[in-house]
Amino acid sequence: MPDQSHVGRRYSAPGQRIAPDAAARVAAAIAGPDPVAEPGAVPPTFAAVYCLAPTFAQLFNDPEVGIDLAGLIHGDQSFEWPEPVQVGDVVDAATEIVGVDVKRGMTFVRLAMEAVRPADRAVVCRGTALMIMRATA
Amino acid sequence: VTALAVSTVTVGDTVTPLSRRVTQEQIQAYADAAGDHNPIHIDANFARSVGLPGTIAHGMLELGILAEAISTWAGGSANLRSLSCRFSKPLQAGATIICTGTVVAVDASEGIATLDVGASSDRGDRVLTNGRATVRLSR
Repeated sequence: MPDQSHVGRRYSAPGQRIAPDAAARVAAAIAGPDPVAEPGAVPPTFAAVYCLAPTFAQLFNDPEVGIDLAGLIHGDQSFEWPEPVQVGDVVDAATEIVGVDVKRGMTFVRLAMEAVRPADRAVVCRGTALMIMRATA
Repeated sequence: VTALAVSTVTVGDTVTPLSRRVTQEQIQAYADAAGDHNPIHIDANFARSVGLPGTIAHGMLELGILAEAISTWAGGSANLRSLSCRFSKPLQAGATIICTGTVVAVDASEGIATLDVGASSDRGDRVLTNGRATVRLSR
């Protein structure tokens, strides 16, 4: 179970390529039955793929933190995109545990993430996420 | 990508609401595209075993639809500068999400509009709450 001692742990995923086909698949999935709103563009929430997925996977597999996926809820999410990311960009993603609180039997893990494009040092995405773990028997 | 002109945006302006029925097929497509196969999204029996009424959409899929609604209003996704919300209630597979937004501030000198944004479902749940977005405007 996560606790205060895990604050400061950082998970890095350098070299995430913004692949056009991967961005297009996410755009199509967001559009569902409707036409894709901006064909060829990278959906802003594609950050889930180039920033959250590769870093969260490390967090979820960190045996010392011990996150139980079965009881995990995504409580909130914020994103800022200081510079729009482009197809073909390569970015370095990282996520850090910045807070752990236990309230009413639930564990609240606050994460901060950032994705930087090393080619020009531009921050293409930063944000925070709250993961809530319900108590398990 | 053409941003909205500062002179044309005023407090109280609203984003054209975007309604989209989110089917299990769409949730599966998102799971495959985003690589998020948490069984609460794709396995109804598992979802019920953890107290959900059935499979639910990924919060990030909902946020993606909300981002589309705001981006369309803002003249393109490159004009979306920030977006945040709380995932307050799950969106069940088969439910329709309705995304909305209202301008609450315009910073003419910075060329930024701030919007209260959110989403509800046709089942009566407020699924995305405490939402806030900022968009780039042209001067």
